[in-house]
Amino acid sequence: MSEENWIEVGSTDSIEEEDLIRFDHQDKTFCVYRLTDGFYATDGMCTHETVHLEDGLVMDDEIECPMHQGIFNIKSGEALSPPACEDLKTYPVKVDNDKIFIKID
Amino acid sequence: MKNNIIILGGGQAAIYAAREVRKNDTDSNIKILSEENLLPYERPPLSKDFLLNKKNEDDLYFHSSDVLKNENIDFENVLINKVDFENKKLFTKNDDVYSYNSLLISTGSENKKLSLDKNLNDDIYYLRNLEEAKTIKEKISNKNKITIIGGGFIGLEIASSISQLKKKVTVIEIGNQLMGRIIPKQIADLVQKTHIEHGNDIILNKQIEKISKKNDIYEILLNDNSLIETEFIIAGIGSTPSIKLFENTNLKLDNGIVTNQYCETSIKDVYAAGDVSNFYHPLYERNIRLESYQHAQNHGICAGKNIAGVKTEYSSVPWMWSDQFNLNLQLTGICDDYDEMVERGNNINNGVIYFFLKNKIIKGACGLGIVGKVGRDIRITSKLSEKNTIVDTQILSDETQKLNKLIQK
Ligand SMILES: Cc1cc2nc3c(=O)[nH]c(=O)nc-3n(C[C@H](O)[C@H](O)[C@H](O)COP(=O)(O)OP(=O)(O)OC[C@H]3O[C@@H](n4cnc5c(N)ncnc54)[C@H](O)[C@@H]3O)c2cc1C
Ligand code: FES
Repeated sequence: MSEENWIEVGSTDSIEEEDLIRFDHQDKTFCVYRLTDGFYATDGMCTHETVHLEDGLVMDDEIECPMHQGIFNIKSGEALSPPACEDLKTYPVKVDNDKIFIKID
Repeated sequence: MKNNIIILGGGQAAIYAAREVRKNDTDSNIKILSEENLLPYERPPLSKDFLLNKKNEDDLYFHSSDVLKNENIDFENVLINKVDFENKKLFTKNDDVYSYNSLLISTGSENKKLSLDKNLNDDIYYLRNLEEAKTIKEKISNKNKITIIGGGFIGLEIASSISQLKKKVTVIEIGNQLMGRIIPKQIADLVQKTHIEHGNDIILNKQIEKISKKNDIYEILLNDNSLIETEFIIAGIGSTPSIKLFENTNLKLDNGIVTNQYCETSIKDVYAAGDVSNFYHPLYERNIRLESYQHAQNHGICAGKNIAGVKTEYSSVPWMWSDQFNLNLQLTGICDDYDEMVERGNNINNGVIYFFLKNKIIKGACGLGIVGKVGRDIRITSKLSEKNTIVDTQILSDETQKLNKLIQK
């Protein structure tokens, strides 16, 4: 995979632990999370309806949608609780010199 | 002989219960008996995305028939109209008999009907199931002036959807605010304002005296002598638990089927879950009845565990939502038992929440905001109230402070 697929999101201290930030790139939108064991990224929009997960609650490894409490596993994207039933897409993340990068395909 | 588990009523609580029994019990026969000839489906979209044509029938089912087949769960389309608890049998009109060892009742709730001129009964439409949603959708397609009787959640959701279909909507509500007294007046007023901004007429504090039909137009006469002309009438005036079947039995009824925190009714081996059950809630130390998606799911799961012999107490903090236009309203806990009310925010773009506290412990909260804006704080509120956490009301009322701070780890 070529280097340019890695997109810089921001510095590691821009996200508090057990929290997330929204990251928009071109016409796509993502959520980038900081969990106790590192950084993760998923699509920004819930798979149930068109609501951004940036306002959701991060608990352990899960993100809960702020609209109807659909729950996804942040690391695998798996939809864990209805009304969400379609998995969330996840993206690889790396940290280099205190900067977070995500790989968008 | 195998153990027979029967689930009466084939809605949301039923399907979650059935799957949970199967998780814990691979042996027993599990059969769902359902009046509706449809696999269990989600009702919330009926008044929202289904009317708006954003979701179709196939999007509504919880699971495909394959899932039920794989888990060996039978689903039968049948209306039960007699029960014999003593001999553990259920009967249909034609005297077909179903015997059970354990029974879960999850018959849900039914809409209250308007008591007006009997000749007009067929002219007033109600929304509870997919069939009715399809009928309403089809019938309104060539109508432009529609009246909703009742300004509760379902009536207002229908009003929001129909208005988005570019039709003129009038809502007539008997009370002096929308959505009943449980919702803070300030939030009811914000919802009302949004409806009006979208062109809906909201009439409060008015009773219907008479409805008459002239050609294809209805005239609704209100108690102030005003007259509303309309082409189609939908009523959403509340619901009652579906318990008629049990009225002359030993089953203890009181605003639904009375159950304890284990979903057990007054009769051994008979359980109840979902809208139909008036259950003991250990957190509030009293019985409550809820009509909500989250409750039907979690209560069904809890009943399933108990039926399978895994004794489990039900103590979920109540939570429900309503979506109207671009607004999302959320309600958690109980909002009718408090000594202090705290307001957070004053703008729906960032979300407005009212917290109800007793002795500095949050008992409930109601929030309104454009989509997504109140969910996180409402969820944190549920967690705080579940743990009976004493909270600093300064933080609650200060929008600049994150509520996660209040959660004790
Ligand atoms: C239009 C609408 C919109 C809603 N929107 C929301 C929302 O936005 N948010 C929210 O939290 N909640 C919402 N709800 C509430 C939520 O859908 C219900 O609380 C939930 O469906 C209750 O599940 P249940 O299993 O208890 O009952 P139900 O899903 O109602 O299932 C009961 C089933 O039992 C069947 N039955 C009854 N008697 C018999 C019998 N004698 N024999 C055989 N079958 C029988 C019924 O036909 C029905 O199919 C909405 C409800 C409706 C109707
Ligand atoms: S929009 Fe996310 S669960 Fe409904």
